[in-house]
Amino acid sequence: MSAARAAYRERGGTWRRPFALRVVDRLKRPDWVLYGCAAALTLTGLLLIWSATRPGLIQQGGDPSWFLRRQGIAAGIGVALMVLIARSDLRILRAYVPMLYVVALLGLAVVLSPLGSTVNGSKSWIVLGGGVQFQPSEFAKLALVLGVAVPLGELRDGERRPGVGALLLALVLAALPALLILAEPDLGTALVFVAMTAGMVLVSGVRKVWLGALAAAGVGVAALAWFLGLIRPYQLQRLLVLADPDADPLGAGYNAAQAKIAIGSGGFSGQGLFRGGQTAGEFVPEQHSDFIFTVAGEELGFVGAGAILVVMLALLWRGLRIAARSVTPYGTVIAAGTVCWLAFQTFVNVGMTLGIMPIIGVPLPFLSYGGSATISGLVAVGLLQAVHRQVGRGMP
Amino acid sequence: MLRLGNPRRRISIGLIGMTFVLSILAGRLVQLQGLDSKVYEARAAQQRVQPEVLPARRGSITDVNGHELAVTVEAREVSADPALISAEKRAQVAATLAKELGRPQEQIAAKLAMTGTRYQLIAKDVDPVVAERVLDHEFPGVTSKPQYRRLYPGDDLAGSLIGFVGFDGDGLAGLERKYDKVLAGRDGKQSIEIGRDGKRIPMTRDTRQAPVPGREVRLTIDRDIQWAAQRAIAQEVAKTGARSGSAIVMDVRTGHILAMANAPELNLNAWQEAAPEDRINRAAAEVFEPGSTNKVITAAAALEAGAVTPGTVFRVKDNIRCADQVLRDAHPHEPENLTFSGIVATSSNVGTIMAAQKVGDEKLYNMLKAFGFGSKPGSGLETEEAGLLPSWSQWSGSQSCTVAYGQGVSVTALQMASVYQTIANGGVRVAPQIVAGVADEETKKIVPSPPGKRTRVISATTAKQIAGMLEAAVGAEGTGNLAAIEGYRVAGKTGTAMRYDEKCQGYCGYTATFVGFTPADAPRLVALAVIQDPQKGHYGGQIAAPVFRDVMTFALKSRKIPPTGTTPPPVRIRAGE
Repeated sequence: MSAARAAYRERGGTWRRPFALRVVDRLKRPDWVLYGCAAALTLTGLLLIWSATRPGLIQQGGDPSWFLRRQGIAAGIGVALMVLIARSDLRILRAYVPMLYVVALLGLAVVLSPLGSTVNGSKSWIVLGGGVQFQPSEFAKLALVLGVAVPLGELRDGERRPGVGALLLALVLAALPALLILAEPDLGTALVFVAMTAGMVLVSGVRKVWLGALAAAGVGVAALAWFLGLIRPYQLQRLLVLADPDADPLGAGYNAAQAKIAIGSGGFSGQGLFRGGQTAGEFVPEQHSDFIFTVAGEELGFVGAGAILVVMLALLWRGLRIAARSVTPYGTVIAAGTVCWLAFQTFVNVGMTLGIMPIIGVPLPFLSYGGSATISGLVAVGLLQAVHRQVGRGMP
Repeated sequence: MLRLGNPRRRISIGLIGMTFVLSILAGRLVQLQGLDSKVYEARAAQQRVQPEVLPARRGSITDVNGHELAVTVEAREVSADPALISAEKRAQVAATLAKELGRPQEQIAAKLAMTGTRYQLIAKDVDPVVAERVLDHEFPGVTSKPQYRRLYPGDDLAGSLIGFVGFDGDGLAGLERKYDKVLAGRDGKQSIEIGRDGKRIPMTRDTRQAPVPGREVRLTIDRDIQWAAQRAIAQEVAKTGARSGSAIVMDVRTGHILAMANAPELNLNAWQEAAPEDRINRAAAEVFEPGSTNKVITAAAALEAGAVTPGTVFRVKDNIRCADQVLRDAHPHEPENLTFSGIVATSSNVGTIMAAQKVGDEKLYNMLKAFGFGSKPGSGLETEEAGLLPSWSQWSGSQSCTVAYGQGVSVTALQMASVYQTIANGGVRVAPQIVAGVADEETKKIVPSPPGKRTRVISATTAKQIAGMLEAAVGAEGTGNLAAIEGYRVAGKTGTAMRYDEKCQGYCGYTATFVGFTPADAPRLVALAVIQDPQKGHYGGQIAAPVFRDVMTFALKSRKIPPTGTTPPPVRIRAGE
């Protein structure tokens, strides 16, 4: 502390930090590494989507940047919302959580009503007209993180960990949207919900006994679903195909086989952006959305695909760091839930494109084409930043 | 911070877990993109890349004036991919294709209906203009690809000389084969990339290596002289009921072969129908015993050795004993005094043997060899033969006599023509040449072949003396007077040889020859006519000389060679008794 400042204080004046220093403070506040990772992944995603969709559009005589522009707009909206959330106070956000949760449930319910549209066998879309449509399940992820975090993160006075009541409430809050999504049916997103909830429960400090009981219950439910025949034939087929992807290369194994060919032919340094033949020939179905990692694999090679994984790991690490440093349990649980969401989707998505996980339709965060997923992914980063912000503020 | 159970520890465990999962994914990446990438790359290429050969246009074979003797024309092959033509459009596409290509509509419709296939040939040999019109309709799946066809505008003109190509366009015979590398050019390559929908992927790195068209090969052949030679020899072969015949016209100074005709000749546009023995270029490949035309070599050896002069007088009987055989002249006669010139002009076998005996086997052998016997003429023809010249030390007793008049030694027509070219050219042999030049790859201009190798075989004096004897042979008292051409001084020699026939394991039938040059005092052209196994008449002077006369007359006119206007010096044939 400078002598001048000490003298100023002695005279009873309130010292105001100079403007330049205040700017520096402000810049220090967000987690720039987190932002950087999200930005790098989103921009890479835009390029890969462009590369994946351009040849097909050209061939059909369409606007070669149609998908690119739509994704760009979604990313723009996502970034705006992300910054907005990042700059908000968690306590204020907390006030909106009940409303957000109810709206999300309503959205999921609408999807199942005749207003919903079916894409790829799942009733998961609401078409608003004018080329705008959205996927309530993506936004429900946000509602789930914030909603489930309330009972798990807001401890009553004197409590050191959530009680049984709080845990059951959290499970109910998680189960409602999850069941609605399972009814669409969208097994992938439902599994994301399970993963998120599990992560939040794990971090919330629930007794080990309860964790064990939950795990047992989970296994029980899965077994029940199996015996009651709730698992649909195509889901079973996907699992079988995983075991032997070459068994039916033109049928169920087609995606997996083509994804491997595309990624494998990328080699160490890739064919070059916009120069992937398998991508241009659109051999991998859904290569711009769920299978965008194949484009990275073919065009950017091991170097690019590996870099994406590293950046993704860095992003997740920052998220975990934020969770660990959060001064409130609420913030910790939110951050952990968000990290689980992004991590689970990344692992499942990349795993399926690499042929070591069953083909479950979850997008690769920040990279896959899809407005709702892009926006919700960026908002999730905003949430992490909001948690991070309270750390800086020294909030109780 | 440790209020929530132990969240920090749980988070560390989480980070470790994530790193672990990501390592598995990274490991899988190493497997796919590192260890197995070649396999996947190959599979990708197999799926996507369609290599295509862009055939190079084969170069033309032209005559000395650039007239095309063999030419490649472009045609198109129109094909369709039935999978890309929707069922509703099928009828319309079939109707349009039928109209444009002039083929039955039902047949095309049936092909388009085979949706299980990706390739159906609609029409071959389509005119490129028509093919373009078909493509202008822009029906998806309808494509055309260039195809080349080899045509021979002259049908059988220089047929066996030019040769032919097979179905794949490779030269199989004659010059088409010999110059295949030059004519063929280099095929181009193109690989197009096809997407999952079977359509071409836009903006892919389609590699295209343009074909390099084949180069023109220009021959020394003059189409008109060739045609005249071919007609004359064909007529004579037909008239005499001969097995075959050949005629050659050469430029004395350059060794250029202006015509090389055979009868029967091969029709190149239907070469498959011809018998194998009619596909060979007899003039260069068929070996026969030449007979009396060979006497000029004996004369050259005798004159060069100083053993005789043109005026040396011999007492010639009509037979002579040689080792175990008695050899005879063609016609019985009383012993007479003939000059050496007279011996050649009247084609006396006995006289020639007497001269040869003055020279000796070795010198005669060396002279034969110097004139090119026993070695390939080096004309640029693949099928040219070397003939048969046994070394003098292996000659049998009678062979040293028979070789002197052209039996017991074998040559081709081309070799014999070359002998007379050497004499006509003042004793300097110029290797016969069939290819005048090959087009430059860039400029397309003909780069002339290097001139034929020049070798002095006999002195100019000897050559001149022999020319004089040959002129006498075409004179009133000579055997070749039917070869005389009005207004021109002609030098030449008849040959009537016993023909060895494998079928009868011995000498059956004759080989009738006439070879000579004009003008005798300033020679420009050599011509040779040979008729194998004639049935009606067999003397060279009777049946081959007229062919020589016709062909030479035409060639002189065609080449605009004027008569020299000189008078031949008198040649003493007989000495007083």
